[in-house]
Amino acid sequence: MLSLRPEEDEKLRKLLTELNKESKSKIVLLIDKSGQLISRSESPAFSSDDITFASLTAGNVAASEALSKLLGDKSLNHMFTETEEEGIYMILIEGKYILVSIFDKNLSNLGIVRVKIKKYYKKLVELLNQIEDRIKRESSVTEQIDVEDIDLDTLFE
Amino acid sequence: MPFINFATKEINCKIVYYGPGLSGKTTNIKWIYDHIKPENKGEMITLATETERTLFFDFVPIEVSNVKGFKVRFHLYTTPGQIIYQASRKLILKGVDGVVFVADSQEERHDANLDTLDDMVENLKEYDIDIEELPLVFQYNKRDLPNILPVEVLRKDLNRWDRPDFEAVATKGIGVLETFKEITRQVLKKLKK
Ligand SMILES: Nc1nc2c(ncn2[C@@H]2O[C@H](COP(=O)(O)OP(=O)(O)OP(=O)(O)O)[C@@H](O)[C@H]2O)c(=O)[nH]1
Ligand SMILES: [Mg+2]
Repeated sequence: MLSLRPEEDEKLRKLLTELNKESKSKIVLLIDKSGQLISRSESPAFSSDDITFASLTAGNVAASEALSKLLGDKSLNHMFTETEEEGIYMILIEGKYILVSIFDKNLSNLGIVRVKIKKYYKKLVELLNQIEDRIKRESSVTEQIDVEDIDLDTLFE
Repeated sequence: MPFINFATKEINCKIVYYGPGLSGKTTNIKWIYDHIKPENKGEMITLATETERTLFFDFVPIEVSNVKGFKVRFHLYTTPGQIIYQASRKLILKGVDGVVFVADSQEERHDANLDTLDDMVENLKEYDIDIEELPLVFQYNKRDLPNILPVEVLRKDLNRWDRPDFEAVATKGIGVLETFKEITRQVLKKLKK
């Protein structure tokens, strides 16, 4: 089970925020391949629903990966999509995570984004490896969560 | 695989609605989406063909706050039931924490129920997910139609793991909430273990 401790959450967010700033992106997101948003840069101006964005990105990457497998290519490394104004760059990290940069094409470009991701790549992988090691060491995280039976009726109108 | 963030006190879980084409998967999660309070839901995504058949998946994020200080997010997905989308179905099962199998109660769709169940079992196996350990609920949908099989038959043929099951008329919302509650209950229970 994937989990983040407060200090890990802070480190990740700090790293993504730095990357976001240096690459002049609108936002940088870290997603796992099943579609969950793990962390994101502090980007107050980004107004789209980041949770939904994460799920679509993972679907997009999963489909492209399956396509490249069909073509006989072993692995997909990265992909790029663009709208009229924005570029969306997605890169796979350790085959398990997806790092996404969304940038305004007037303010940044694919070259800058890729160079800056390269700069932070190692640090990010180290951090993720540390987190995974910590998870492996822990016997059970869930003892610390008290999820009582929740009243789902309150959700509905 | 649930994701727990101890900093933001959030838990994310992925629930997938699986079943043959036209069994009512999209109708289930659309009903949930339409009836949930605005503050408890994010944006729904529907990737469908022009004839409203699911092409890749539907997605509904649901948020439950204040579960002893934790916020629980359920991410509901539907798979595309049509046979041609087999590859996509498998992709959506990745990292799944709970499955709702939506069967079509109509007699003429029973072969499709059985084929899709086989397909699901196969896909789970490929992800190394043990179905015995997986939160799972069955729903026998379209109980309002005339040519339906008795529940006992559906249960015997599909619910081989003796899991909780519900009759439903998803278009009217009958059985939808019960099904959803049961799967979330199982997912949370497994989380605690
Ligand atoms: N009579 C009746 N019709 C239903 C019921 N539930 C769903 N339907 C109808 O069945 C059709 C298919 O429903 P969907 O929810 O789109 O089916 P689906 O399982 O998502 O289908 P795919 O996306 O192709 O896999 C729609 O026209 C629904 O209105 C039900 O309980 N009774
Ligand atoms: Mg559908």
